[in-house]
Amino acid sequence: MTAEQKRLDEARQHKAPWKKWGPYLSERQWGTVREDYSESGDAWDYFSHDQARSRAYRWGEDGLAGISDDQQRLCFAVALWNGKDPILKERLFGLTNSESNHGEDVKEYYFYLDSTPTHSYMKYLYKYPQAAYPYSNLVETNRRRTRLEFEYELLDTGVFDDQRYFDVFVEYAKVAPEDLLILITIHNRGPETAKLHVLPTLWFRNQWSWPSAESRPSLEQGQGGESWSVVKAVESHLGERYLYADGNASLLFTENETNTQRIFGVPNRTPYVKDSFHQYLIHGQEGAVNPEKKGTKVAAHYALSIEPGQSRTVRLRLSDLAPDQFKAKRGKANGPFVRFDGDFEARQKEADAFYAAVIPPSMNADQANVMRQALAGMLWSKQFYHYDVDRWLEERGSDPFKENRKQGPRNDNWHHMYNGDIISMPDKWEYPWYAAWDLAFHVIALNLVDPDFGKDQLKLMVRERYMHPNGQIPAYEWNFSDVNPPVHAWSTIFTYRLDQAQKGEGDREWLKSIFHKLLLNFTWWVNRKDRSGRNVFEGGFLGLDNIGVFDRSAPLPTGGYLEQADGTAWMCLFCENMLEIASALALTDPDYADMALKFVQHFLWIASSMTHLGGDMGMWDEEDGFFYDVLRLPNGQAQRLKVRSMVGLLPLCAATAFDGLAMEKYPEMRERLQHFLGTRPEICAAIHDPMKAGVANRRLASILDETKLRRVLSKMLDEREFLSEFGIRSLSRYHEEHPYVFRAGGQEYRVGYLPAESDTGMFGGNSNWRGPIWMPVNALIIRALLQYYAYFGNDFTVECPTGSGRRLNLFQVAEEITRRLANIFLKDKNGRRPVYGGSRLFQEDPHWRDLILFFEYFHGDNGAGLGANHQTGWTGIVARMLHLFATLKPDMLLEAGKKAYFERGASERTESQPAKR
Amino acid sequence: MKEVRTSRVTLYVDRANQQWVVLDTEGLFWVLPNVENAWEHRQPIFPTEETALELVPGHYKHLLDLPFP
Repeated sequence: MTAEQKRLDEARQHKAPWKKWGPYLSERQWGTVREDYSESGDAWDYFSHDQARSRAYRWGEDGLAGISDDQQRLCFAVALWNGKDPILKERLFGLTNSESNHGEDVKEYYFYLDSTPTHSYMKYLYKYPQAAYPYSNLVETNRRRTRLEFEYELLDTGVFDDQRYFDVFVEYAKVAPEDLLILITIHNRGPETAKLHVLPTLWFRNQWSWPSAESRPSLEQGQGGESWSVVKAVESHLGERYLYADGNASLLFTENETNTQRIFGVPNRTPYVKDSFHQYLIHGQEGAVNPEKKGTKVAAHYALSIEPGQSRTVRLRLSDLAPDQFKAKRGKANGPFVRFDGDFEARQKEADAFYAAVIPPSMNADQANVMRQALAGMLWSKQFYHYDVDRWLEERGSDPFKENRKQGPRNDNWHHMYNGDIISMPDKWEYPWYAAWDLAFHVIALNLVDPDFGKDQLKLMVRERYMHPNGQIPAYEWNFSDVNPPVHAWSTIFTYRLDQAQKGEGDREWLKSIFHKLLLNFTWWVNRKDRSGRNVFEGGFLGLDNIGVFDRSAPLPTGGYLEQADGTAWMCLFCENMLEIASALALTDPDYADMALKFVQHFLWIASSMTHLGGDMGMWDEEDGFFYDVLRLPNGQAQRLKVRSMVGLLPLCAATAFDGLAMEKYPEMRERLQHFLGTRPEICAAIHDPMKAGVANRRLASILDETKLRRVLSKMLDEREFLSEFGIRSLSRYHEEHPYVFRAGGQEYRVGYLPAESDTGMFGGNSNWRGPIWMPVNALIIRALLQYYAYFGNDFTVECPTGSGRRLNLFQVAEEITRRLANIFLKDKNGRRPVYGGSRLFQEDPHWRDLILFFEYFHGDNGAGLGANHQTGWTGIVARMLHLFATLKPDMLLEAGKKAYFERGASERTESQPAKR
Repeated sequence: MKEVRTSRVTLYVDRANQQWVVLDTEGLFWVLPNVENAWEHRQPIFPTEETALELVPGHYKHLLDLPFP
C-alpha cells in the first residue's frame, strides 16, 4: 500500500484529517451570483475584478495557487508584482461575459501540474509577464471583435515575446495533516535580470463583518528565529496556526475589510483595508500597512532580483506547531525549515508512487503525463462553495417569508438551500460554481484516485440542503431551477461498482440512501417534464446550450412545445441506471426487486414512446435513420426538427446490458415481466426485445433495435457527419453545406455546422454545441458501445469509418473513438498537440509544450481547445477513458461483463511500477 | 420629500455627501457619522426626489453595527 493510499484510508476512518487543507480557494469569487446584490441580477458588472482587490467578499475567497481549510476560515495564496503592473497580482484576470466576443474568459496562463487526493503534495505553475499586464488592451480589443472572430488572447498582446516572463511554481507538501510546507520557485525565462516582488499572503475569510456569531480572528507577528519570521493566527474554531517565512522577508499587515472610500465613496474608519498591500507597493503608501504588525491579512514581502535563466526560491510553512516546538533539542539544530527539503522530496516521491499505482504501466510517458495532469486538474478544481440562499435573499430584501419583499432576480424558490462544502468545480475561474450534471462526470474520473470523495460528492447533491423539497437536483447558481440531464444515477452505480471491486463489498447503505433520493428526483422528472403523461419528455436546453434551432428553454416562436429526443433518451438511461441500482440492492434485500421491475416497465414505456408515439410523427425518422426533436404546434400539427445533432445520438447512449442476477434470484420478477410483455406486444415492436438473450445470457435494455442501431451508427461513424479525427462531433458536418432552416413569424432560424466558436449569443455565447467535440457525451457514447458489445459480442461489426471498408466490432469502435479523443492532447508524429492548434509557443517551447490544458470543448475538425480553458472538470474524464482501454480487454468484457473492468482496475492499482513525475 | 413605509431596515450610501444613510422601519431616514457606534450618533435627514441614494447590501448593516437583524 502506498503512503498516499494510507493517508486516504486514515481520512476515511477519521483517524487523521488529511483532507482538511487543500486547494479549496476559488480562482474567482468576483462576478459570481452569490456575491451579486444588484437589483438587475447582473452579477458580472455588480462585483468586478477592479473591485475585487478592495471589497471584502461575503461568501468565499479567491487567490492565486491558493489553499484554505475545508471551511475556508484561513486562506493562503501568492501575490506578485513585477514593478510595472498597475494592479498587484492577487488574483487571475479575465473578461466578463459582455466584455468578450465569446463570453467570459480568463486571460492568464496557469497550470495544475500535480496533486495527490489528500493534497499531501501539489504543484501549480503561473506564468507571469515581466511587462505591465495589458488589462485595457485585452478589454478593448476583445470588445471590438465580432462573434465571427477569434478571441484576443494574452499571448496575442506580445507580453510573452522574447520569453520575458517568470515561471512561478507553487508547491505544497504536508508533513502532517495540519502542517504544510510551501515552496515557491521563480524562474526568470527572459534575457535580462528582472525584479519581482513575491508576497505569500495569509488571511481570514471575512465572517466577522456580516451577521454571524463569528468572533474576529487575529494575525500578529511573533518572535521569529535568526533566519525566519513567524505570524501567529488565532481563530475560534481553528485555534492557533503559524505561518513561518524563511529568510528576511518583512511582514505587512492589514485587514480583510472593504475599502469603503474606494467602493462606496464613504471614508474608511481605518486605513488598513483589503487593498492595502496594493497601495503600499504600487503607490508607495507606507501608512497603508499596520505598523503594529497585526490584522486579519498578512503578507511576507520578498523583493527578488533574478538573473536571466536563473531561479530563486521562497520557503514557508503553515503549521499548527508553535515556534517553541522548533527550538534546538540536545544541541541538534532545529527550526521550521531544517528538514524542509527532505520532507518535500519524500512527499514528491510518494506522489510518484501513488500515481504509479493508478496509471496503467502499459501507458507510454506522454499518455501518463496527460492522465496525471488531468487528475491533477480535477483535484485542484475542488473549492469551498458557500451559499446560504435564504440569508442571501434576506440580505437583498427578498426574504420569502416577509411582507413587502422584493422579488429576487434568481433562485427565489431555493431558500431551503445552504451550501458550505468542498465541491468539485467545472472550472475555478470560468465556472466557479457547481453544475449538477458536470459533477456526475467529474466523479467518474475522480474515482480513479479518491472514491471516497466521489461518493461524498454524489451524496451531497441529494442532501436536504441541496435537493429541492420537490425532488429537483439544483442545476447551478445562475438558475438552480434549470434542468440538467439526469446522470446522477449513472455516476452512482458506476461509483458503487468501483467501490465494490476495490473493497470486495459495496457500500450498500450509501447506495440505498442515494437511491431513495433519486426516486424523488425521478418522480420530479416524470411529473414536471412529461407534459401529456405519454412518456415523452421535454427539459429545455438540457445542458446542450445552442444545439437546437430555437432556444429550447424559451417559449417557442411557433407556440406549442417540443418533444425532445434527448430529454426522452435521458429518461430511458435514468430508468436503466435506477434498474441497475435496484437490482444490485435486490440481491440482498427483496424489497428492491419490486422497484427493479418498476424501472424495467418504466423504461419500456418511455423507450416505446420514442419510437411509436405519433405514428409517422414520432422522434424516429425512418427515412433518415435518425432521431429528432418533434415540434408540437398549438393547432395539433407536428413536425420533426431535422437537425442532425447529439440530440439524436443520445437515444443510442441509453443502452445497458444486464447479467440477469436479480432475475435469477427472483423468478417471479421474470414471470411478471413476461406477463407484462405478453399483454403489451406493441411495446417491444419497435425497440430491442429485452427478453432476448445475448452473449453470456445477458439482456439488453436499449431503445434502438439492431436495425436502428446500425443506421444510427452509420451516421455517427461517418467522417462526413459526426466522426471527427478527434472524436464525435456535437453536430453533423452534413449541415456545413446543408444548414437546417426553419421559418416562423417572418423570421428565419438556422443551424449550420460551426466547428469552433458560437456565432450567436444564445446561452451567453460562451459555449458551442453546433459542431465541436465535447468529452462527456463522447464518454457516454463509449459507455453505450461497450454495453452493446457485452451483449452482441464479436459478431456484430460495423464499418468504421463508414465507407472505409474496415469492419470493427463495437469494442473496437469504442477504442477507436477513445484513441481519437486522446489524440487531442497527445503529441502527434510531428510532436505537436492538436489541443494547442497553431500556437507556436505551446507547440514548440520546452517551457510550454508539455503543459496540458483541458478545455471545455474542442474544434470539430482539428481538435484545438475552445471555450473555458481549465474545464478539467468533465474534460478530465479522458483520464478514465485512457485507463479503461489500458486495462480492459474485449475477451474479459465478454466473459465477465462490466465487472471485468472494475475488478481489473482494482487489481491494477497493486501491480504497477513507479512512474516518472 | 419621500414618503416611505417599510417592514425592514435598509442601508444606502449617499456618494455625493460621502455618508451612509439608513431607512428605519418607521420610514425615517438617518445619516450615520463615520464614528464608532454610529447608530447612536445618527442624525435625521429628509431626502428629496433629487437625493441619489444607492442601495447597499443588507449584510453591511452588521459592518456598521446597526442594532437591527
